Amino acid sequence: MEQAVFNLSQIEVFQPASLKEALKILNDNRDAEIIANATDLWPRIMNGEVKPKKLVDISGLRSELSYVKREKGVIRIGALTTISELSEHQFVSEKRYRAFNDAIKLFGSPQIRNRATVGGNICAASSSEDLIPVFLAYDAKVKLASVDGERIVSLDKFVVGKRELSKRHNEMMTEVFFEEPDDGYSSVFYKIGRRNTLIINLVNLAVVGKVQDKRVVDIRIAANRVKGKIPERARKTEEFLKGRTLDEETIADAQRVFGEELSLSDDFRASAEYRKQVLKVLLKRGLNVLGV
Amino acid sequence: MKSLLIKMNVNGVDREVLVDPDDRLLDVLRDELNLKSVKEGCGTGDCGICTVLMDGKPVLSCIIPAFQANNHKIVTLEGLNSDPTMQKIQQSFRKYQAAQCGFCTPAMEVVGWHLLNTEKKVDKNRIKEAISGVLCRCTGYYDIVDAVYEVAQQ
Amino acid sequence: MKAETVEEFISELQKKAERGELLYIGQDLKRLDDLEKVLGSPVYTNDLLPRNALYARLVLSKYPHALIKGISISKALNYPGVRYVLTYKDVPGLNESSTIIPDRPLFAFDKVRSTGDIVAAVIAEKPTRAKEATELVEVDYEQLPAVFDPLEAMKPDAPKIHENGNIIKHVKVRKGDIEKGFQEADYIIENTFRTQHQDAVALETETAFAVPKDDKVLIIGSMQTPHHVQAAVAKVLGWPIDRVEVIQAVTGGAFGPKSDETPYDVASIAALGALKTGRPVLMSMTREESMKAHTKRHPAIITHKTGVKSNGKLTASKVQIVLDGGAYASLGVLVIVRATFHANGPYDIPNVWNDGYKVYTNNTYTGSFRGFGAPQAIFAAEAQMDEIARKLNIDPLDLRLINMLRPGSRTSTGQLMDESCGLPECVEAVVNASDYRNKRKQYESQNGTVRRGIGIALLHHGNALGPEGNDYAYIHLTVERSGKIHLGTGLTEYGTGAISGLAQIAASVLGVPLDYFVIDRPNTLVHHETGPTVASRVTAIGGNAARDAALKLKQKILPVASKMLECNVDDVVLVDGYAFCKGKEGRNVAWEEIVKEAYDANIELSTLGYYIAPECKWDPETGLGSPYNQYTFGAAIAEVEVDMETGQYRVLNYYVAFDVGKAINPQRVRGQILGGTVQGLGYAMMEELVHKNGYVVNPNLKDYYIPTSLDIPENIQTFIIEKAGSIGPYGAKIVAEPPIVLPAPAVRNALLNAVGSGVNSLPITSEKVLNAIKSSRK
Repeated sequence: MEQAVFNLSQIEVFQPASLKEALKILNDNRDAEIIANATDLWPRIMNGEVKPKKLVDISGLRSELSYVKREKGVIRIGALTTISELSEHQFVSEKRYRAFNDAIKLFGSPQIRNRATVGGNICAASSSEDLIPVFLAYDAKVKLASVDGERIVSLDKFVVGKRELSKRHNEMMTEVFFEEPDDGYSSVFYKIGRRNTLIINLVNLAVVGKVQDKRVVDIRIAANRVKGKIPERARKTEEFLKGRTLDEETIADAQRVFGEELSLSDDFRASAEYRKQVLKVLLKRGLNVLGV
Repeated sequence: MKSLLIKMNVNGVDREVLVDPDDRLLDVLRDELNLKSVKEGCGTGDCGICTVLMDGKPVLSCIIPAFQANNHKIVTLEGLNSDPTMQKIQQSFRKYQAAQCGFCTPAMEVVGWHLLNTEKKVDKNRIKEAISGVLCRCTGYYDIVDAVYEVAQQ
Repeated sequence: MKAETVEEFISELQKKAERGELLYIGQDLKRLDDLEKVLGSPVYTNDLLPRNALYARLVLSKYPHALIKGISISKALNYPGVRYVLTYKDVPGLNESSTIIPDRPLFAFDKVRSTGDIVAAVIAEKPTRAKEATELVEVDYEQLPAVFDPLEAMKPDAPKIHENGNIIKHVKVRKGDIEKGFQEADYIIENTFRTQHQDAVALETETAFAVPKDDKVLIIGSMQTPHHVQAAVAKVLGWPIDRVEVIQAVTGGAFGPKSDETPYDVASIAALGALKTGRPVLMSMTREESMKAHTKRHPAIITHKTGVKSNGKLTASKVQIVLDGGAYASLGVLVIVRATFHANGPYDIPNVWNDGYKVYTNNTYTGSFRGFGAPQAIFAAEAQMDEIARKLNIDPLDLRLINMLRPGSRTSTGQLMDESCGLPECVEAVVNASDYRNKRKQYESQNGTVRRGIGIALLHHGNALGPEGNDYAYIHLTVERSGKIHLGTGLTEYGTGAISGLAQIAASVLGVPLDYFVIDRPNTLVHHETGPTVASRVTAIGGNAARDAALKLKQKILPVASKMLECNVDDVVLVDGYAFCKGKEGRNVAWEEIVKEAYDANIELSTLGYYIAPECKWDPETGLGSPYNQYTFGAAIAEVEVDMETGQYRVLNYYVAFDVGKAINPQRVRGQILGGTVQGLGYAMMEELVHKNGYVVNPNLKDYYIPTSLDIPENIQTFIIEKAGSIGPYGAKIVAEPPIVLPAPAVRNALLNAVGSGVNSLPITSEKVLNAIKSSRK
């Protein structure tokens, strides 16, 4: 059967000068894909995995979409903020945001961090995107803009499947934001792969929570895969832990609940069984970080 | 006919280049501007040897569409060859025999130069981090780290 | 020289003259090609490409085993930018791209045997157009039953990949009486070990371009052995070889695969494309093409059965090695020879029975790669030693000290070790540096989630080609009127700095500083065919040819200098570019003056040096004899730290010693040890080109992991031991390959020490370590 061959030189490229213009182009071109700084999308275009007829290049919209704002108890991150820029912001050095710091350190290479954007990482929507579980653990929401206006969607309702976003064709994610947890919260992020850097994670885990007098006041747990092929929250484990006293027995029970909640799969990088064992260990370590 | 006009400042010189949507920054630098220090090792952003500086920061030219270089400032090793710090790095690479096959050398020198130009105190671990995005298959990295470290000490 | 007075100058010359030929031997002189490399000058193949070039992309087989019923290229030909589509029909000569056994077509025609087989090549104005059009080449396949497990492939009813059955080569070692050896043993230990496909990942992929030149073709490419590429292309074109000119461009890493068959493919395709289109054609593999289509390190399945007395003395070793050769023989026919001869490790064992098989499967083909069968063989042999020690409850170091090769002992093929066996010195160096004994004691009683372990591995490595071919080399030296000395050879530089080492040897003989030397690009029309640049043999074999060429040149220079100095020829001394007369040091002449004088006297200052190693004699039926002229020895100790809950580990310290006979340039010897060690750590810890049903699952650097700067041991200590060998210049032995061999067994054995159970397959992933931890708790 003849395959449709896609001539890359025929791609129509739009380079809007403003967000408004970008949204108009998106609205007028159903078959257009958004391309930010392209670290994820460009290699996939070049190897034929993605065949966009039209590209809306938003990399020129940095003045509008690259920012980290901290106001009224909310942290807002513009979609075009690079990982390096995120790492330079003061908030990531706080204990309650250590998960960000951990994730950034293990994010790609220095060169990738200089290009990859927060919005791009979220919109790439796969289990290898390390920022998604971190944002999930902070109950983040995304702002979607279109010519019709803006709307807010919680992140777990936005990234709905592997390479699948719940958004209309004319919408663009412009911001991710979350309410700041109080400074009694702690957080941690783990990522394990076959070497120390430049890895696709075998597993990752973000834990954000508050433990007071050994009691779990609040807990959010997210991993690159829980049930499906995208990062998700481990809600059952969270429910189990909430309100309990964080002792060895609780942790052991939480590991068991977590193990039951996980539905992982094998691939050539590791077996599901190994992933599950490691995630349980990391959960224990994460809970111990919170308990300290 | 190439369809997109891009304007870049490359190694201090303003350039206008016509590119196609499927041209990468790497292709433009190598083929149009004859900057051959920029190498291709994987084409997928995984080996780092296509590293150049974009607006002063190390980036991977093999996964940057040429059209996205529009209005940006690009620096390659050729643009740094007369810089005193780069010359020290190059001398140090020679002294430590840190260039074996030489294919990763330009990228290593560029990330090394960027590190020494942006940070005051640099130890060996910091050098290892800074070069961690550039793969080398010959040296095992030790001689490269030592070569950059010696310049950092000066 | 920093002499301030004439007297000082003369006295320094005299002092240096006492070193004789060793003037610059053992010194850390710089390499001659470093300036262009640190400047990023355009020197590699793709940098030199003419502007009007076309680009080729490959159509690889869709199936691991299938008949080709038809190929239709018309749609691809009509695609925008496409200029030509090459298939087997375009081959005017022999459609063959093979080194030893003619089993591999350049373009598949009747059938495909692996997913790395090349069916067609699309030539277009731009790489992206060529790649897109590959999808339009229509190939009608009829799938055949396939076999991917070499043990399955050895069975009589397995699908036949080639006409003559699936066992390509069987190598034997038969020494003593194996059954008697087992009867004498108090214990018999049996284990099976497995290794993986490793990709060399030279950062520059396989690449060549061809330029049509009247009735000739010029090829510039990345390769180890230009004369072999020349012969291969001439065969494909059906031309006499002198119509094919091959120049080796500066080569961005090679590691063995660039001595195998893939450089033939890229050069032949570029040449065919250039002749068909009349334009330069570049065939530069993408990383994905390379990882699918070029030769990888053979996976191996190795079974050991060892007899040992309770006092630790080995009585018998029976080893079977089965190499997964993939679909074609390649240089793998020789890889199995080296693997089989080294299968028992560097030990004196009276009774040996080895069987080595290289077997066809429908996986992508495997061949030459740094170490050449030794990494697999020594991993298994050294893992087995630690398993034996565990059984006997003795320290693995002691087991090795009891059995290892020393002067006076014999290898598995019965070869007598003379004084050049420096293995004991290597062991001593790493044991002392690592504080092995104390640490071993310290790690006996550990609790907690983080534990440490220390492990040792040894090796011997037969030098140069030995049973792999005639070990010869030519070196051309030509002096320009200016005094500049050109060193030309068909031996190639691809990173090690070994060719600069040849100049260093010539400089030392001639008494002329190294910076007078220029290394010419290897060119098949200019330089003699000189055997392959493989087996780490440039210094040990080529070094003798360089010395020969320099001695011959010196014979031409000395009479001229003698006349100029009015000095007896025998009394003329050349040091640092000056000639003077013994006893009349006040008067000297510079190299440039002598050269000019020679030119004026019509003396041709051009010599051809040659060396051929003594023939290695062994019995092909029993393997007995001396398959190698000399051996390099090595020892390494690794210290690891393990996370007992996740199996993750890191190598904290690595101590490694090699007996290299004589280090011509110690800094570069160290460079080879460091680089080889890290490549070996990759092999040990992370690298794995995964094949699933004949398809490469991870043909990219996103999912095929090689070590980064953050993966190397914090502390690495190298030791150079010098026990002069019998054939290399000044006693030099080879060094480039052995360092890759030791990390896998050393790390494996250190992990065994830490967790109490061994991992018997590579790479040693955290998952395997965690499984070992669990099994040791049972």
